[in-house]
Amino acid sequence: MAFTRINNKMISAQIVPGQRILSQRGSMLGYTGEVTFQPNLMGGQGGVMSMIGRRVANEDTPLMTVEGHGTVMFGHGGHHVHVIDLVGDTLYVEADRLLAFEGSLQQSTMFMGQQGGLMGVVRGQVTGQGLFTTKLTGKGAVAVLAHGGVIELPIFPGQPVHVDPQAYVAHRGEVTNKLSSALGWRDMVGRGSGEAFQLELSGQGAVYVQASEVKL
Amino acid sequence: MSYPPQPPQSPYGQQPYGQQPPYPPQGPPSGYSQHQYEQSHQATQAGMHVPPPPYQASPAGQFGAPVFQPPGGDAPQVWDAGTLPADDNVNPYCFSVDLNGAYYLQKGKMIAYYGEMRFSGIGRGVLDRVLEQNFNSPLHASDWVVAEGRGKLLLADRSYDLNSYDLEDGNLTVRSGNLLAFEPTLRLKQSIIPGFLTLIGTGKFVAASNGPVHFVEPPIRVDPQALVGWADCPAPCHHYDHSYLHGVIGGLRHLTGIGGASGEEHQFEFIGAGQVLMQSSETLMADRSVGVVAAEAGVPGAGVPHQQHGGAPGLGNLGNLGDLGRRFGL
Amino acid sequence: MAQFRLQGSRVLAVDLAGDTVKARNGSMVAYTGQMGFKKLSGGGDGLRGMVTRRLTGERMEVMEVKGQGTCYFADKATEINLVRLNGETLFVESDNLLCTEATLRTGTSFTGLNGMASGNGLFTTKVEGQGWAAVTSNGPAVILRVAQGLPLRVDPGAYVAHTGNLHRALKSGAGWSTLIGEGGGEAMQVEFTGEGLVYVQPSERMTLGGEV
Repeated sequence: MAFTRINNKMISAQIVPGQRILSQRGSMLGYTGEVTFQPNLMGGQGGVMSMIGRRVANEDTPLMTVEGHGTVMFGHGGHHVHVIDLVGDTLYVEADRLLAFEGSLQQSTMFMGQQGGLMGVVRGQVTGQGLFTTKLTGKGAVAVLAHGGVIELPIFPGQPVHVDPQAYVAHRGEVTNKLSSALGWRDMVGRGSGEAFQLELSGQGAVYVQASEVKL
Repeated sequence: MSYPPQPPQSPYGQQPYGQQPPYPPQGPPSGYSQHQYEQSHQATQAGMHVPPPPYQASPAGQFGAPVFQPPGGDAPQVWDAGTLPADDNVNPYCFSVDLNGAYYLQKGKMIAYYGEMRFSGIGRGVLDRVLEQNFNSPLHASDWVVAEGRGKLLLADRSYDLNSYDLEDGNLTVRSGNLLAFEPTLRLKQSIIPGFLTLIGTGKFVAASNGPVHFVEPPIRVDPQALVGWADCPAPCHHYDHSYLHGVIGGLRHLTGIGGASGEEHQFEFIGAGQVLMQSSETLMADRSVGVVAAEAGVPGAGVPHQQHGGAPGLGNLGNLGDLGRRFGL
Repeated sequence: MAQFRLQGSRVLAVDLAGDTVKARNGSMVAYTGQMGFKKLSGGGDGLRGMVTRRLTGERMEVMEVKGQGTCYFADKATEINLVRLNGETLFVESDNLLCTEATLRTGTSFTGLNGMASGNGLFTTKVEGQGWAAVTSNGPAVILRVAQGLPLRVDPGAYVAHTGNLHRALKSGAGWSTLIGEGGGEAMQVEFTGEGLVYVQPSERMTLGGEV
């Protein structure tokens, strides 16, 4: 377990030689020992396509590599921090909400449109959450940020969960997502209930939802 | 003095006003202590993924009023002048002062009170004498008010966590925006570190933090924005770390900004013995102006009002050189 | 019957079995099962409520949620307080009302100068009837009792709600120095007298009067 909870808004990580941690730049609160913070040149492992993708999506959450020997404390903006342990499964998380994760995890940037087709593109445009979501696979811990903490809602086959795109934090497991509209066009234009678009998640897994409609 | 305080014994027969315990109450004897209410409040603050409490029907409130139902189904705590804690936290975000005399507070932090009290600006007329005694700082006195009278006074600040600290012939330095209130037995001085205030003497003060305060011991390097304050240890020094700017790649980085800075080039380094207070924050509470130090040779920052610098001076904009990094999506 | 429960302290879960609740517009964060969302014009208070809202500029936009399953509501990470009404009346700042059972009636109530000082319009929301209501507060609400001979003064910006037989009056807490420009910072206060409970939040919303 790489991350230790200090309080609901701060975590600490033990850094030992040979094991690196990646974290959002500027999210280090304090450290002891000899630790270096190196900005990631490629902003991920996706190569050129990832760079372009990030630009298109206007995602600007660059990462840094934390290495050395010591203890580092992480937190960001007074937001709640939630640690998720991955045991060989996959977590999809909005890049803005990724605080830190263990270097043992495989990281890639996922094009949401792969699953949602045209609607996936629309979703990115509508929610302003970008077309690309960070995908983490393997064994290790991930720390995500949420406004007001998260609740974990399980997803079972045949029982999809609908989520407000603004409140969506992350999801894990074998889950497909699509943007759904619960309303007719009339409701979407001008006199909607504020719930015109919903993210429908179906399959087997779990979704993390924050207690706020405020996007980070 | 413990949190949570005991529920009121008699729901309606509260003590008449004026029969509270005498002031000052018995504070903890230790020279420097933070009130430990965290164990109990962690339980309710713990992550939101706890299983939902079993549904329970709410009992009708006293005198037929509806009651707020907290998570867990416990009966909600109702306070009045007699049962409110004396100089202790009501919950992690609200502090109750047992006022009998005077107390200094930052403007606008009173949320409610019982009893007879008045609030006056500092720095006028009869209060000048008090000001001389307690404000040994070119502080903008208009940011502070003095509460005078008798009763229970509730303080809060944007639902930030509040902690009270007891100083016994000690000193503690705190970020100016985080200091909420202090007893008149303490003296307030401006720290040599811009934007910080030092409290000296014996007494209690209340400070806010974004998230609970985390105490660490030196040696440690702290992000400037996560620093709430420090006690007993020597004032911090600046620490710069930009070793990755050396070499060919580093030079390219330096010129173009591609790859950016890690955002962690600059820390405050603490050494020696003492305590460092940290919070989880990159978004600071608005700093209170601490006034202008008279222009004088040898005085750091003299002549300019000290507002908080927003990060690493000099190096802060390195990663955004020409905003190239962002435009290329790096 | 809609079942109200808390998931943590900041998310409200409502179990619906074909029945209806009213909630603040846009406050749904997730749901399971089948849900329909319909905006109610004029806050669902009929013509009179609609007119008063228009006049006062107070915008409490409400949606009706109907369906089968569990619907989750939250509002900007504020704490949620559940209130069970058994025929009593709850007065609440309209900004702080998150969700009510369909069995409850909501209306507006004139609050004197309090509304003006707190920048929340001249009317607060009155909730009456039998059922559950969910009230938000920025930080956990502190519940304070008011009794005969035990008045309470509250900062208008920290006031959330009250119940019982209470009288409200706007008071000036300022000393003489306020008059010459050096304000005490606590210039306007609301005094509660009578018998009842007052709910305050450990926070002050932005007020028209600045640092009231």
